[in-house]
Amino acid sequence: MNDRYSDEKMHNGAAVTLPCVNENGCYEMRLESIGGLGANLCGKLLGELGATYLGLNAAAFSSYGSEKRGSPVKSFVRYSTRGSEILHNSPVERPHLLALFHGALAGVLPVTAGVGENCALVINTSATPDQMRHELRLHAGQIYCVNALQLALESKSRANMVMLGAIVRAAGFIPLEAVKSLITDTLGKKYPAMLENNLKGLTLGYEAVESKEFSPDEKYAYVPYREVRSKWGYATAPIGGANPHYGSTVSNDLSPSREGFIPLFLPEKCIHCGLCDSTCPDMVFQFTRGEYRGRSAMMNRGLDYHHCKGCLRCVDVCPTEALVAGKEAEHRDKKWFVRNKDLIVENIDFEPAGADASVTGEAYLDEKRVDGGLM
Amino acid sequence: MKNAEQKPLFESGNELAAYAAKQINYHVMGYYPITPSTQIAEYLDQMGADGAHTIALMPAEGEHSAAGICYGAAAGGGRVFNATSANGLLYALEQLPVQSGTRMPMVLNIACRTVSGPLSIKGDHSDVMYTLNTGWIILFAESPQEVYDCNICALRIAEQVRLPVIVAFDGFFTSHQKRNCYVFKDDQTVRDFLGPCKEQFGVLDPAHPVTVGSYMNEPDIINNKYQLHLAMEESRTAIPAVFAAYEQLSGRRLRTLKAYCCEDAEVLLFVLGSAYLTARAAVDRLRGEGKRVGVFTLGVLRPFPADEVAQVCRNAKTVLVADRQDSYGARGGNMSLEIRAALQKSGATVRVISRIYGLGGRDFYEKDALDLFSLGYDENTPDFDYIGKNEGDTHFTPKPYFAPITEKKASGLITCTEENGKVLVKGATVRETLARPKRLAPGHGACPGCGIPVNVNLLLRGIEGNVVLLFQTGCGMVVTTGYPKTAFKVPYVHNLFQNGAATLAGLSKMYHQRQARGELPAGEITFVMVSGDGGLDIGMGSAIGTALRGDPVILFEYDNGGYMNTGYQLSYSTPLGAKSATSHLGEVSVGKGFFHKDMPRIMAATGMPYVATAAESDPNDFIRKAAKAQHYAKSHGTAYIKCLSACPLNWGDRPNTERRVIAAAVDSCYFPLYEVEQGITTLTYDPEQKGKRIPVEAWLKMMGRTRHLCEERYESVRQALQGEVDRRFERLKIEAAHPKL
Repeated sequence: MNDRYSDEKMHNGAAVTLPCVNENGCYEMRLESIGGLGANLCGKLLGELGATYLGLNAAAFSSYGSEKRGSPVKSFVRYSTRGSEILHNSPVERPHLLALFHGALAGVLPVTAGVGENCALVINTSATPDQMRHELRLHAGQIYCVNALQLALESKSRANMVMLGAIVRAAGFIPLEAVKSLITDTLGKKYPAMLENNLKGLTLGYEAVESKEFSPDEKYAYVPYREVRSKWGYATAPIGGANPHYGSTVSNDLSPSREGFIPLFLPEKCIHCGLCDSTCPDMVFQFTRGEYRGRSAMMNRGLDYHHCKGCLRCVDVCPTEALVAGKEAEHRDKKWFVRNKDLIVENIDFEPAGADASVTGEAYLDEKRVDGGLM
Repeated sequence: MKNAEQKPLFESGNELAAYAAKQINYHVMGYYPITPSTQIAEYLDQMGADGAHTIALMPAEGEHSAAGICYGAAAGGGRVFNATSANGLLYALEQLPVQSGTRMPMVLNIACRTVSGPLSIKGDHSDVMYTLNTGWIILFAESPQEVYDCNICALRIAEQVRLPVIVAFDGFFTSHQKRNCYVFKDDQTVRDFLGPCKEQFGVLDPAHPVTVGSYMNEPDIINNKYQLHLAMEESRTAIPAVFAAYEQLSGRRLRTLKAYCCEDAEVLLFVLGSAYLTARAAVDRLRGEGKRVGVFTLGVLRPFPADEVAQVCRNAKTVLVADRQDSYGARGGNMSLEIRAALQKSGATVRVISRIYGLGGRDFYEKDALDLFSLGYDENTPDFDYIGKNEGDTHFTPKPYFAPITEKKASGLITCTEENGKVLVKGATVRETLARPKRLAPGHGACPGCGIPVNVNLLLRGIEGNVVLLFQTGCGMVVTTGYPKTAFKVPYVHNLFQNGAATLAGLSKMYHQRQARGELPAGEITFVMVSGDGGLDIGMGSAIGTALRGDPVILFEYDNGGYMNTGYQLSYSTPLGAKSATSHLGEVSVGKGFFHKDMPRIMAATGMPYVATAAESDPNDFIRKAAKAQHYAKSHGTAYIKCLSACPLNWGDRPNTERRVIAAAVDSCYFPLYEVEQGITTLTYDPEQKGKRIPVEAWLKMMGRTRHLCEERYESVRQALQGEVDRRFERLKIEAAHPKL
């Protein structure tokens, strides 16, 4: 019998008291992440925690269709007391707690939209709360910084376990013991070998937060949560959904999809064989005609890193080690960064984007992600 | 009577539909994955893998066949279950009146989603409204809890009145949202509530032969339909009776109509599904301000509870009906039209205002409900409109980023000549085609390391001149054309999963027609269909039809071995024993249960002039085959190329290693490289001759989805796969050696 259903995880103790609720009687959380960091699972765990360990009504859902690696994901959690039904099914606009699973999350609307002074922000970063407030242009709120990647490595756990610990700490009303029971009962049953590390990651996250409160001092304006609207509307869009703006994905800056590594180009070693171009899914390599060994040839002039997702396929096929893997953090000024050669515009207003979203099934992904390897 | 023992869970609508099905332990589920209903089959597969139920899960090659499986199974007298959404439902739609007209009970879950096109995967009610005329009873659940409750009641209702029943609920909002809920602790409680399955006709009873599905014209068919009408009428009392019995058991009451604060309300709002709950929050707020407002919804759409609707609206001055779909041209969605009809029949003089909202999964916020209520107090508001629409930026004129790829710029690199029935290709190498402009733009949203753009680019490198592309639904399509952007620099059309080849055939025919009539200039365009993610399971008929007609197009299949766009369910080309979301490993299950489909062989059997397999691990060979495909499509008929396409996310391997993984598939002969040129087979790469042949195990261990097959306990599965790979390769070698094969 599958353990997800076989077990009763009834809350034995008294229900917790929610420290604050909105006008609908709900305590609300929003987790912002990119696919692959486990925010979706973390949101579900928080929901399950509320429903079966804290004696609350809970709801958990994610921004749907956003399950690809590298794509932006939002996860929403609502709590209310048992007597108060959760009626809303829409995204969390003004969270009591916001968790940022990635330091540099992209989006048209800032991830901190709707964050007011009573909000706790949990951020996965090696920076300090002061630095993060500045970076996020945050109006106000209590910032909790935690280096989840580092602590995940230390505990041989995953970043979402560390983040869960930090979230529980920042929320203030959730007993850590209840979370430990949840992890033991759910992930622990499925993956017993990882339980100890996961509990360690959770505890490290709980303990290692660095916190500071920022009052609304007019430094940065409050940004309300709003729906992102397209420039093409019913009065302006070509009919039928036709899109005459051919090749327009070129204005996506996919750097946020990368997970720390980039290919480095050593042109003196390049023999212009073109294998890199034949394996690159993202059309990053810029070949133009030139003269190689006295003959007219297409020559590799460099990479347009705007579109590189860091898959390192090119490094794997390069026969001369003209392409090697490097840590992006150590190569901020990418020497062989050349612009896409086919562009006919002077400037592009790049939109930061992750790899797009379409994978919607979860059963298989959950299993695989917990199995590990993605961190 | 005391309620049966229950236990609390925290689950989503899909999970609870699956859980109810597991408790019922249906005999058969025929299904085909489609977002957002797919999880129902996934969860059932997961539970079944561990022996929690004995339902036979049958993955069809399309929703039409899934409905066929269900019909046949229902004719066999047992209990039958299915789940679908959107275009999957519409593809199966033809089968729905067959099911009801021949009076075969079953339960179909619909996780409601927008009907294409343009394609949207999100939730609205445009799909379920197509079923209003099918003769099925339709229950609508507002919450995950109701999905569970409705699923149990549905089967009892179905068997009582001998009609199939739909359980509909909001895609994503309800299907994917986890909530506190209760389920019966003991599966037997559910089974006792339903009682034994009583069959009407015994098609499986040779002692009492019966003909199901008569050929029936006038004067008889009207009587058959009247019987169906009578059954619907019978269900008007049967449904509340089942709901009442269920309340005794569970303590929860399902209702045909649910009303909140409607008794004294002057402005009433009607919404369906999860929006009802949000609207209740708005009612609370407005009541707090002293406004007399209320909201109601339906738990049953068929039979339509017209009397109850009239009753609940009797004191209202204005009824605002908000539909999450439109019956285009009728000035109202279907619920709006039916409510108007119900009120007219009752003689009410209440004003009715219709609004369309929330299409394509647009969120329904409390503010939207408040805005709707305020319309109810506005004397001058139009009877019909859309809310949430956006005019757009009238000053927005996007500038082109690239110059169009002219025929001249895309030509002159490769030449093909035909000698003695063979095509000779010159210039088809990676190095020599580096100057070919890319028809795809960067910035698309494929996962890091995805094989699809790699393979599409390799194919297009081999193709000279103008290209028009058609993608069937799948990952390749989704990651390239997310509005308002597109990655295509050449003309492109999308059509649904099963119909790409036929669509492209029509397009190419129009090109030649218009050229013949002098409407388009002389010249050439190469038409290429791109499909993967199992698209040549559901689209096989269309592809074979195109090949049989010999339409001058190239059919290109990127075979990533699963339905990756919906989260990796098994396709017919998933390897034997591989894990997927619908082929879990478990105590009683060993991954995918049948061999990978040999699509090139099927296509070759059409007698089409060119069939080839290609792999990115041999890019020069890939480009050469693309060039040949273009030559054959131009001069002889349809060409088909299939490549194996890496999916790091779902294959469970590292993105940078994918070319090596593909090479291993080729060297293990799981994916042999060959071509069938005018009926003659040539092995274009023989790993045995090169001394590179490896056992299939060496490939399987490179991927997370198949690594388990290298364990000792899966040895028999591995050996079966190795045996099939050997058989196919031996046959291929014999064909390649024979001058006439």
